[in-house]
Amino acid sequence: MQLYELNLHEMIEGLKAKKFSADELLTSCQNRIDSLEKNLNALITRLDDKKISNPSGILAGVPTILKDNICTRDIKTTAASKILGEWKPPYDATVWKLLRDAGSVLIGKANLDEFAMGSSCTKSAYGATKNPHDISRVPGGSSGGSAAAVAAGYVPFSLGSDTGGSIRQPASLCGVYGFKPTYGMVSRYGLISYGSSLDQIGPFARTVRDLQIVMSVLAHHDEMDSSSFREKNYDFSYDESKLNLKGKKIALVKEFQSFNLEPSIANAMDKIKKILEDEGAEIIEVSLPVVSKYSLACYYALAMSEAHTNLERYDGVRYGYTVQDASGLKEMFERVRSYGFGPEVKYRIIAGTCLTEPSRCDEYYVAATKVRTLVAQEFARAFTQTDFILQPAASSKAPKINELDQIDELKSYEADLYTLPVNLAGLPGLSFFTGYDDDNLPVGLQLIGARWSDPEILNAGIVIENHTGSPKIANGGLN
Amino acid sequence: MKLTKEEVNDIALESRLVLTEKELEGTVKFINNFLTMLDSFKELDLKDVEPFSFAETLECPLRADEIHPFENTQGIINQSAHVEDNLFKVPRIMEAQ
Amino acid sequence: MPELEFTPVIGIEIHIRLKTKTKIFCSCSTNTDVPPNTHVCPVCMGLPGSLPRLNYEVVQQGMLAGMALNCEVQPKSLFFRKSYFYPDLPKGHQISQCDLPIVAGGFIEVHDENGNLKKIRVNHLHLEEDVGSLHHSASDGRLEGAAISYVDYNRSGMPLAEIVSEPDVSSAKEAVEYVTTLRRRVIYSGASDVELEKGMMRFDANVSMKCSDGRWGRKVEVKNMNSFHALEKAIEYEIKRQKKIMLQGGEILQETRHWNDAKGVTTASRVKEFYRKFIVEPDLPPLIISQEWIDKTKAMFPEMPDVRARRYVNEFKLTPEAADMLTDNKALADYFEACVKAGAEPVRASHWVRTEVLRILNEKALKIDSFNITPDSLANLIKRIDAGKISTTQAKEVFDAMTNNNLSLDEAIKSCGITEGGIVGDALSSIIQKVIAENPDVLAEIKSGKDTKGKKLKFLQGLVMKETKGQAKPQEVAEALTKALN
Repeated sequence: MQLYELNLHEMIEGLKAKKFSADELLTSCQNRIDSLEKNLNALITRLDDKKISNPSGILAGVPTILKDNICTRDIKTTAASKILGEWKPPYDATVWKLLRDAGSVLIGKANLDEFAMGSSCTKSAYGATKNPHDISRVPGGSSGGSAAAVAAGYVPFSLGSDTGGSIRQPASLCGVYGFKPTYGMVSRYGLISYGSSLDQIGPFARTVRDLQIVMSVLAHHDEMDSSSFREKNYDFSYDESKLNLKGKKIALVKEFQSFNLEPSIANAMDKIKKILEDEGAEIIEVSLPVVSKYSLACYYALAMSEAHTNLERYDGVRYGYTVQDASGLKEMFERVRSYGFGPEVKYRIIAGTCLTEPSRCDEYYVAATKVRTLVAQEFARAFTQTDFILQPAASSKAPKINELDQIDELKSYEADLYTLPVNLAGLPGLSFFTGYDDDNLPVGLQLIGARWSDPEILNAGIVIENHTGSPKIANGGLN
Repeated sequence: MKLTKEEVNDIALESRLVLTEKELEGTVKFINNFLTMLDSFKELDLKDVEPFSFAETLECPLRADEIHPFENTQGIINQSAHVEDNLFKVPRIMEAQ
Repeated sequence: MPELEFTPVIGIEIHIRLKTKTKIFCSCSTNTDVPPNTHVCPVCMGLPGSLPRLNYEVVQQGMLAGMALNCEVQPKSLFFRKSYFYPDLPKGHQISQCDLPIVAGGFIEVHDENGNLKKIRVNHLHLEEDVGSLHHSASDGRLEGAAISYVDYNRSGMPLAEIVSEPDVSSAKEAVEYVTTLRRRVIYSGASDVELEKGMMRFDANVSMKCSDGRWGRKVEVKNMNSFHALEKAIEYEIKRQKKIMLQGGEILQETRHWNDAKGVTTASRVKEFYRKFIVEPDLPPLIISQEWIDKTKAMFPEMPDVRARRYVNEFKLTPEAADMLTDNKALADYFEACVKAGAEPVRASHWVRTEVLRILNEKALKIDSFNITPDSLANLIKRIDAGKISTTQAKEVFDAMTNNNLSLDEAIKSCGITEGGIVGDALSSIIQKVIAENPDVLAEIKSGKDTKGKKLKFLQGLVMKETKGQAKPQEVAEALTKALN
């Protein structure tokens, strides 16, 4: 057994017990990256080997990887876009500060769909990331690099961001656990914004218990983020006495039941329902008519409206890609932006601009903000009837990279239907591993909870994991 | 067809994006499909629904009026290729239309 | 055919810098007296990943400024993103409360052409961030023709209040009175210093014309006025221009025009009208202001200058002119009231403040806050005049000594060689004896009886007065001298 294969809590215990050193662990992870990165392209930036001196904190000496839309001081941060060029942020994102203060060591910045817009991790200015279980397939996205890195054993945990499923869907396709916390649970300060009211940072790991450890570090009020939670405290510690689903209600969404699921996903649903019932939980149905019918349109209207304003700052004046020989300002902005943004980003900028034009604003943008109110209300009502909602995290297994072109743009948006309503309502969602299908590809599902039920969801995840077992490390295209 | 090629091109230019003919065609198709999708909002009675909802019904926290200078202003300035004497230099603002 | 009449319809937008230590959304200092791009941070530079954080004091000052405009504080307001591309706007959008403002529905009173009071309604005041400043390298420093511009983001994120009036203004004169009164009231509220020379107040005007034949001209937005004078001239110019076009049967174009202060004209802007659209600022939840906070602010809201002036007339029996002059500057009025509180008679205190105090402030280019005679000292000086202990002439000498040499009242009196209550009794007698002894020839002449007209006696009297430095009463000197001679 190699050190990189250990899960996060095993690494922490091993380091504490001095079974191995932080340097040995780091070397093991770096070697793993050396052997797989040419197959996977999970990283945009690799950071040099550094000897670790006197690590301290709960994550002391544990290597990690951040999605490359999380700002790291003096370390290139690209959001996988040409427009950011060689930008080195002059400041650290709060999440990285927290991890570093807890002793974690940054060894790479992970690939993503440009500005987190996409669900395949192929729409990156730095090339596509491959699924470590089958390198002809996508890892999912947009946090595909972060998911692949954990699945392939680069690091025991990583951070991604989730605006409409960008943690949960790649976690499912890569066979790892991915957690999207309640909006406001984890600071967004230093996360390069896509849809600000939907974005949330969260962890990937190979066990739910490892997610708990990372969440215990990340879940802190941050005065730098006006949407960060205040007043409350959340306990993410591992506690066997809380691992109990007896009497809990777990709902299926009525309107989703008529959908034709891929057999592997349908089988996984049956398997997990049975596990939950065996644990004493009651499976019920809730009806979410507005959510199921309107959240797709609502989500994209809001995400694109916010995205286009978040991307207005990229003009080449203060940072990132620029031109030196423009004869006028308009020309400079046009050249910088037309070259710097990729096609998907341009689509979304133009769509967002279109929706918020004075003549269309009420009909589309303002209407979408109202639909969001209805979506949130519908979920709030549902959570008076149930503790959790169970549903797929993706509508299919990981697509083949060379078959992506055949998928229509808007059809690929529909694939997010299982994940994006969660962001509209700011709910927490756990994407969990259930097993492997006939092609030996992992199959994941999703557990959704009420706002601020994050610790309870993770406890439920451990109960399920105790039945399914944890995922194995993917071979990353090595034979 | 909700929006013509010309209209979409104008919107792109407002966003300071110059599209190639191929990009423009793709965008027109995309935008029009997208707007059709959003037309579904008309099925809902939204008259009395609160607009501008936030994921969390928070109120805006207020920061004390205390000066905390950012310690790495040079780190900001150094990232621009247009700095001269600590000022950001940009080409002429008025240009012939 | 009756002559056509034109009524100008004018709305005014004012930007005022609010008085805070830090910017609206970050902890950078608002002090602009520093090298370019030094008071900047990821937030006011719009760096990717940065998030705004609202300054408590901006909200407080916004409430106070709003109250100065007779507006109501709104319990819930919201920030929006106002988009346009310009290099001084680092995020490509400005965070502004444009649609759901913090205060709304006020008014300012001005005098119409007949001298009657008229209300100019204030639609609202909203909070927003300022943009960076542009320096143009054209030889005349202007926008047009500049080949290169330089951007300094120190001003980016400065807290602004935008005040939008209803189109109730009918003349350039009313416009000036509106902004002057508004400025004075806002300064009074403590929300802003509104120092015009530092660009803390900027104006835009929407001017259109209504013709007696029923025609309405389109609205023209006139920008780039930075002084009261410019505002007045620009509106006058625009009224004349539009009237001329309408008289000739032409159409007024709806456009944005720039005031060119040097040439005294407005010119159509060559920049295409900024494309503006709003979305909610998703990074700032709604601003909720509790009734408790509103009440607290009302309690600390100071008396407004016009109310104060009226009180001075009623309570202190000052003339309206004196009351206006004193209340023009809140600190000066506070100084005056402190004098009165310390026991000075109000009319005399008002006179002293308006003449002597203002004279010194002018001469030394001082502000009342740094004036070295405390209201208590001035009150004591006035009290001594009233008690007959020193004369008004002496008092002025003492006042100068106090301020010039930084002396207390008693020290100044001493340094001026003044004997309080005047020179009487033995002191006076000894001076008389001294004068007589020094002028034996005059004495002889008087004694000889030749001084029939009393000229020599008057001469001696004058010498005595001079010796006492005017601190003896002439009547008493005459009596004592006559007595000494007999």
